[in-house]
Amino acid sequence: MKFNIAIVILLSTLALPASAFDFGNMDNLKDALQKAKKVNDQVKKATEDVPEPKEIEMGGSIASNLLGAAPLLKNAAVQKYVNDVGRWLALQTERPDLPWQFAVLDDEDVNAFASPGGYIFITKGLLMHMKSEAELAGVLAHEISHVLRKHHLNAIKKGARTELMTEFASEAVKEKGGNKNLIKLANAGTELYARGLDKDDEFEADRMGVVIAARAGYDPYGLPAVLQTLQSLNAKDTKLALMFKTHPALADRLSLLDQLMTGRFDSFEGRPDLAERFAAVMNGK
Amino acid sequence: MKLSGLMLAAGLALACGLAQAGETAYTVRPTALKEKPYSDAKTLDNLGQNAKVEIVGRRGSWNKIKVNDTTGWVKMLSLRLGDAAQKTGDTGFKTLFNVASTGGSGSTMTTGVRGLSEEKLHNPQPNPQAVEAMHRLAVSKEEAQQFAQAGKLAAGKMDYLPAPAAK
Repeated sequence: MKFNIAIVILLSTLALPASAFDFGNMDNLKDALQKAKKVNDQVKKATEDVPEPKEIEMGGSIASNLLGAAPLLKNAAVQKYVNDVGRWLALQTERPDLPWQFAVLDDEDVNAFASPGGYIFITKGLLMHMKSEAELAGVLAHEISHVLRKHHLNAIKKGARTELMTEFASEAVKEKGGNKNLIKLANAGTELYARGLDKDDEFEADRMGVVIAARAGYDPYGLPAVLQTLQSLNAKDTKLALMFKTHPALADRLSLLDQLMTGRFDSFEGRPDLAERFAAVMNGK
Repeated sequence: MKLSGLMLAAGLALACGLAQAGETAYTVRPTALKEKPYSDAKTLDNLGQNAKVEIVGRRGSWNKIKVNDTTGWVKMLSLRLGDAAQKTGDTGFKTLFNVASTGGSGSTMTTGVRGLSEEKLHNPQPNPQAVEAMHRLAVSKEEAQQFAQAGKLAAGKMDYLPAPAAK
């Protein structure tokens, strides 16, 4: 709809100087064309902003691709627990009403993923290296931050042809897949998990993650604790390869959290980390 | 279902036992060694920068460490894992991580036989049934609030923090 308006504006501005065409009016023509381009660019930019239902639709398609690569862990209690922790964290953010949903992937790889619109994944491999609910909260809050700041959506937008994104954004949400634009964009979004986001997006998600965990009442050192644990693992382990490839060095992430948290987060000393509740769920009690 | 749970539990027990006990770390700045994991606890010793320590545990933002036969607590973020001697000029295993993280094109990666292989991310096979199952796992706001209450988690306000100035 909006896209059509853009075309109408472009055509009408092109048509206008053509009717009054003579050499004396060359400058006017240039001006008119420049103006038309400017208006067109503005409309284009506006239409590129993906409405929330379309963001959620795209996130669902990317989630579908990811779930095609790794299945859900078949453990209802663990899945429920991760959703409880994640939903509670999401309630402390500026987008509490997204359809947030969380899942544990039955995969030995050590990793976590976010998809636009509120889809969050953590692998069994990463969960197995955690010792408390605060650590789980730290990682989920990092992933939630990617969704809040639309890091993946923006990266997809940057890489895709403008018309593709514009068309997708202006289409109605479809009940079932099969939409060519959606499939193309979702596949680009899935490839991002192999390529990684900008380093600055990762650092921003770390900074926001510890704040969201603190807002939710947790010991906010859960995220740095997980990063420290990962530092203790054998860096050559293939289970870590994809995560290391797609994220900044652990030492750099810890140094930035150190600069950020030291002094400012001292008042949170003694906050609950709920290690017992975490262990009870993981041990099936 | 039961099997996965058991395997997860076994894996967790393993992780709890081994993840950090006996890890060698070093201090990234002069750091007070405390008797207990609190800022106002008695200071047992003042460690200099690059002091080599052994991590034996963690509580909240504190690591329990052993250094020269003394056991005490230091702030977790004042430690980095590994040996300072090998890390002069930020090398050591950080270099290794960098090698792993500068792949870029993906051509440098060896894709082993893993579930989440890169190949599956490049040639995705959607699984809409699993997405439906994931929808059903979602919990409501009210459920999440009850869960937080049961854990005595109190929500509070805090602004996001700006990026630290580059050094």
